[in-house]
Amino acid sequence: MSVLYQGTLSPELAPCTLATGAWPESEADVPPPPLPGFVVSAFSALAAEVARRCLSQCPEYSDGLEAGSEGGRAPAVTAVVMVSSLGDIASAAHVAQAVDSRDRVLPLLFFQSVPNSVAGYIAARWRLTGPVVSVGGLDAGFGAAAQLIEDADAERVLLIRIEQAEVTGARDRAEALLLAAPEEES
Amino acid sequence: MTGARRGTGRVAINGAAVASAFGRGVEPLLAAALDGTPGFRPVERFDVSDRRVGVAAVAPGAPVLADGLARVIEEACDSAGLSAARRAHCPLFLAMHGDPDLARAVGAERTEHGADAFAAAVARRAGLSGVVRAYTSACVASATAVADAAAMIARDRADCIVVAAGYFVDADQFALFDAGRALAPDGRVRPFSAGRSGLLLGDGAGAVVLGSASSRTLGRLVGWGRAGDAYHVCRPRPDGDGLARAIVAALLRADLRPEQIDYVNAHGSGTPHSDPAETAALYQALGEYAAAVPVSSTKSVHGQALEAGGMLELIVSLFALRAGALPVNAGYLGPDENCELDLVLEPREADDAEYALSVNSAFGGANTALLVGAP
Repeated sequence: MSVLYQGTLSPELAPCTLATGAWPESEADVPPPPLPGFVVSAFSALAAEVARRCLSQCPEYSDGLEAGSEGGRAPAVTAVVMVSSLGDIASAAHVAQAVDSRDRVLPLLFFQSVPNSVAGYIAARWRLTGPVVSVGGLDAGFGAAAQLIEDADAERVLLIRIEQAEVTGARDRAEALLLAAPEEES
Repeated sequence: MTGARRGTGRVAINGAAVASAFGRGVEPLLAAALDGTPGFRPVERFDVSDRRVGVAAVAPGAPVLADGLARVIEEACDSAGLSAARRAHCPLFLAMHGDPDLARAVGAERTEHGADAFAAAVARRAGLSGVVRAYTSACVASATAVADAAAMIARDRADCIVVAAGYFVDADQFALFDAGRALAPDGRVRPFSAGRSGLLLGDGAGAVVLGSASSRTLGRLVGWGRAGDAYHVCRPRPDGDGLARAIVAALLRADLRPEQIDYVNAHGSGTPHSDPAETAALYQALGEYAAAVPVSSTKSVHGQALEAGGMLELIVSLFALRAGALPVNAGYLGPDENCELDLVLEPREADDAEYALSVNSAFGGANTALLVGAP
């Protein structure tokens, strides 16, 4: 494993990366199915999918959706840090259009208007009992993640970055990193 | 890298400023909170004729978020006595829902309206450094930003950080909360009360300057904690376990016993599910003292300011301690057996009050606790 982060954190704060997950992994990668209860936008499904691709590499984390999965918390207190500059822009634009045209606003969009909500889905599914934080940029995300570990409110951080495509024809992109203190690298 | 929770005595609140439905400044907001006078009125800022509910705690007119933030940051820095040179070295941690113009921007224009770009523009306008963080964690955004700033100062990673937060009631969020049937149809927020029916939105912008103690110190941030529920997309854990762990973390950092808390400014959203879960959290974290500590939710007065809510509540708690009085839990109709707390239902003096606990919970099972101390 290598220290992935090369931003503005002082070196002793830079966390190490235990596992990663990304979408798409190739041009052939198909979009994940929508999550139950989430509508209109792929934002939440992508977040859940990259979290699955990341955490499923670590046997100490169990997927609550799998048959036979036992209850209980993940062994390390793991925070979820959502990083997105634009947030769920597909949902936000849909709501704005509905408001401007006096169309009905879908009730399910209420809770998916903030990135926290899918973080709560991921935390419940993987039993991650650390803090839930959403920030606007990658530097802020790594900074917040490193601080949660140094400040002892989390032992690990699942950092999820989502940016939805802004122009027609482009693809959404998402990645997840499971971060830990540098000493856990060994 | 990992270490013990650290906090005690290192972090001072050296400046503060706020704007709310009651106007600019701490005084009108504090007066309303201490009297229990709600600020809810019909919304005229945008069309609510299609909505089930038409009220919120709104200031007159249509305030611009960037302008409101610039004003409270300027006022907070002035109250902290920060020179232009010192401001130029201060990071900005900004709690916000997002750039209000983002949802209507088109295509590649959207990049200019990201949360980080908006925060950077606010920092430039205020003469702050280029180090910014935009916190978009819903109702815990403010408190998370304050906790992270405090942690940096406690570990000597920064000398001074400006934490600001802003949300002004807007048509899109109002429509979403209305569609989700989260708004109180009777036009009042009634935290912990029988007959409570939901929340109401409210305007809020605020800023605090955190640093080492100085002659300007208004109070101390003695403890903080953050923890998650791992339970549900939008509902809190009924047993309050996540919030309780956040409160215990704050007490550990402050090296305080529960009995030393003189007042709790609760999240108290006034929704049927949230208030009992928060009550359970207080009992889990504070033991039987949860039945004795005075509690109120000032959302009953200034409404739910979303990402800025925790900032309003921190500032109200701080200045209530300084005034020697406790904010009132307005809108109360009668007891709820699942919310057995010592609610502050009438104006109450508290000359000797030294520590206040301000807690918040948000969608995603996010929880925060801040412990503020008199100077």
